[in-house]
Amino acid sequence: MKNIYLITKREFLTQVKKKSFIILTILAPLLMVGFGVLIGFMFKANEAEYHFDVVDKSGLFAGQLKSTKEITYTFVPANTENALVKNLKDLKGTDGLLIIPELKAMDFDALESGTKLLTNKKVGMDTKTFVSADLSNILKKEKIKQLGIKEDRIVNLDKNFKLISQNVTESDSPESDFAFGIKTALSLGLMYVVFMFIIIYGVRVMRSVLEEKNNRVVEIIISSVKPFELMMGKILGVTLVALTQFTVWIAMTVTAAIFLNTGFSAMQKNIPAGEEHILKNLDIQQVATEVSHILLDMNYVGIIGVFVFFFLFGYIFYSSMYAAIGSAVDNETETQQFTLFAVVPLMLGLYGSFTIMNNPDGPMAFWLSIIPFTSPVAMIARIPFGVPLWQILLSIFLLIASTLLMVFIASKIYRVGILMYGNKATLKEIWKWIRS
Amino acid sequence: MLKAENIKKTYNAGKKIALQDFSLEVPTASIYGLLGPNGAGKTSFIRIINQITQADEGKVWIDGKELNPEHIRNIGYMPEERGLYKNMTVGDQLLYFGELKGMSRAEALSQAKFWFEQLNIDQWWKKKLSELSKGMAQKIQFVVTVLHRPKLLILDEPFSGFDPVNANLIKDQIIRLKNEGTTIILSTHRMESVEEMCDFVALINNSKKVLDGKVFDVREQFKQNVFSVVLADTNSENLEELTRKYQIENMTTNNGLFHFELKNSENQNILLQDLLKTGTIRTFNEKIPSMNEVFINAVKE
Repeated sequence: MKNIYLITKREFLTQVKKKSFIILTILAPLLMVGFGVLIGFMFKANEAEYHFDVVDKSGLFAGQLKSTKEITYTFVPANTENALVKNLKDLKGTDGLLIIPELKAMDFDALESGTKLLTNKKVGMDTKTFVSADLSNILKKEKIKQLGIKEDRIVNLDKNFKLISQNVTESDSPESDFAFGIKTALSLGLMYVVFMFIIIYGVRVMRSVLEEKNNRVVEIIISSVKPFELMMGKILGVTLVALTQFTVWIAMTVTAAIFLNTGFSAMQKNIPAGEEHILKNLDIQQVATEVSHILLDMNYVGIIGVFVFFFLFGYIFYSSMYAAIGSAVDNETETQQFTLFAVVPLMLGLYGSFTIMNNPDGPMAFWLSIIPFTSPVAMIARIPFGVPLWQILLSIFLLIASTLLMVFIASKIYRVGILMYGNKATLKEIWKWIRS
Repeated sequence: MLKAENIKKTYNAGKKIALQDFSLEVPTASIYGLLGPNGAGKTSFIRIINQITQADEGKVWIDGKELNPEHIRNIGYMPEERGLYKNMTVGDQLLYFGELKGMSRAEALSQAKFWFEQLNIDQWWKKKLSELSKGMAQKIQFVVTVLHRPKLLILDEPFSGFDPVNANLIKDQIIRLKNEGTTIILSTHRMESVEEMCDFVALINNSKKVLDGKVFDVREQFKQNVFSVVLADTNSENLEELTRKYQIENMTTNNGLFHFELKNSENQNILLQDLLKTGTIRTFNEKIPSMNEVFINAVKE
C-alpha cells in the first residue's frame, strides 16, 4: 500500500511541476477571458458616433426621436433641406441627412417609402438598424393612436403565454421554462467536462506508461513493486492532477463571474433602443440570483455527489483501459489502433446524451445511463433533471463492478506488456495475456 | 545464500522453453558469475529471483526461506537495459527508488550522500538525468541499485557503457561490497571480469546449466596441459632433442629468444630438467584456459 502512495505522489508531483500544467491551468482560463474582453473591446473601439440632421415634414418625430450616445439627431427646419442636400458632401459636423416627407391621408406606408437617409460617409448596418428601429417604434405609436386604442392594450396583445408545468409524480414545485433551460445548460456543461477530462487525462496515463517503457525504468520499478501497484499509483496520481486542475478552474470561474458582472452592464448599453424588453429578462443581477435560486432548489448535494462519483469511477474505468493500451505498444503511433475502444463509447455517451435533453426519462436515456461504458457521461447529463433512486443505485453498482473488472483485465495486460518490446501486439496476443 | 532447484520456465503456453531443470547454489558473500550466450536463459532466471515473473516449476530459497515478497527489499537489481526517469533530478530519483525498496527518507538520503562521496559525484544532486552523459547516468544507475544496502546484488552486464577508468571504479566497489558480506550475482559476457572478480561461475546454454563451480576448478577442468616456454642461450642440439621428445608448437625466434608451447602430461619436474639442459629458462607457464576459452569450448559441445 505504501508503494501505491509513493508512486501516486511521484506521478502527481511530476505532472504538476511541469510548466505545461501551470500554464494550462492558470493561463488558459485567463486567456479565454482575455480573448473575450479583447473581442468586446474591438467592438467598442469600432463604434462610431453619428450626427444626423433631421428634416421632419410630417411633424410626427420632432419630440419623439431621441438621441443616444451613438446617434445624435438634430432637427432642422424644412426649408434648409435643399441647401443641406447640396452641401452634404462637404459638411463636417453632419454625417447624414434624414428626410421624412409629409404624412398624407394617414398613408404610413407612403411615409415609410418616402423617407430617405442621405449620408456623406459609410454608415454601418447596425446604425441603420437603430435608426430604422427608432423610426418604426415612433410610427407604431402613432398608428396605435390613430386606431384610438391605448398603447398598453396593444402591448398586452403581444404578451407571451407563459405556461407553468408541473409533474404530479414528482415532488418538485412547478417549474418555469427558465429553470428547465438552466438545467439543460448545467447538464450539457457537466457532461462535456466529464467527457473532455476523461479523454485528456486518460491519454496522460497512457503517455506516462509509454515513457516508463521507453526509458526502461520500468524494469527496475517492477523489481521493487508489483505491476498492479504501479498501474494504480499512476492512475491515482493522474486523477489527483485532474482534480487539482478542476478545482483551480472552478475557483477561477467563480472569481471571474464576479468581475464579469461589471462587464455585462457595459454590454447592456449596446442593445438597440427598441429591443429593451429583452433587457428586462437579461438583467444580469436578477438572472444571477434566479439561477442560483434554481440551482439551490435542485437537489444540489445529490447532484454533486453523483457527479463526483461517476466522474471518479468513469475516469478510473477508462484510465485503466488507457494504461493497458500504453503497455501493449512501444510508441504513441501504435496506440491509435486501440484508443478507439475508449473514444467510441465515450462519444456515443456524449452524443446520445443530447437525446436526454428532449426526453430525460426515455429508453435511450435509461440505457445510456446504466451501461457502464456510457454511464459516466450519460448519468451526469441526466442528473439535473432528476433520476429515480433505484436507477442511480443500479448504475452505480454496475459501474463499480465493471470498473473492478476493467482494472483486473488491464493489470493483466499491463503486467505482460510493460516488459515486452518490439512485439507488435495484436488483439489475439493481448487476449492470450489476459488468459494467462 | 541463494538456492534454486529444478527451475522450469516456459513462454508462449509452453512453446518456448527458457529454463529447464535448472539448479544453482550461490554461497554467501561471494561473487557468482552467470554466463551464457544470448537467449540462454540468464535473464529469465534473474527475473524469477526478482519476482518479476514466476517459475512454472521448481523453487528458490534465499537464506533458507522460500522466495516471497519480503525478499524484495533485500535484493538490488541492475538490469541490462539501463533506464531512469529523464526529467527527474538525480536526488529525487535516488530518494524515490530508495523509498520504494522500503527505506525511510532519512536513510535514503544518508546512503545517497555516502555513495556520492565514494564515486566522487557530489555535484550532480540537483541535475536532471537528461543533463548527464551516458557514463554518468550509469554511475547513478549503480547507486540506485545498491542504495538500500541489499544482501543480494544482481548485476546484468554491469560494465557495459563504462570507460575503463569508471569500469575499474565500479569493479572496486563491487569487491568492497563483497568483502562487507554482500552476495553478488554477475551476469556478463566479459570473460576478463569473470576471471578478475568471480569466485564461482555457472554457464547456461540453451535453457540448461552446462557447468558450474569455483572459477579456479572450472578452469582446471578444462586445462589441456599446455605449457608456454621462453628460452635464451639455447643449445641447438638439445633443442632438437627436445622437439623430438615433446610435442612442440608455435615456435618463434626473436632477438635470440625461443618462444614455444608444448604439451606435457608427465611430471613437470622432468620437463623442467629437460628445459634446463636446453637453455636458460626465461618463462615457464602452464596455460590455464581463460574463461573465454572455457566458454567457447563448453558452448560448442
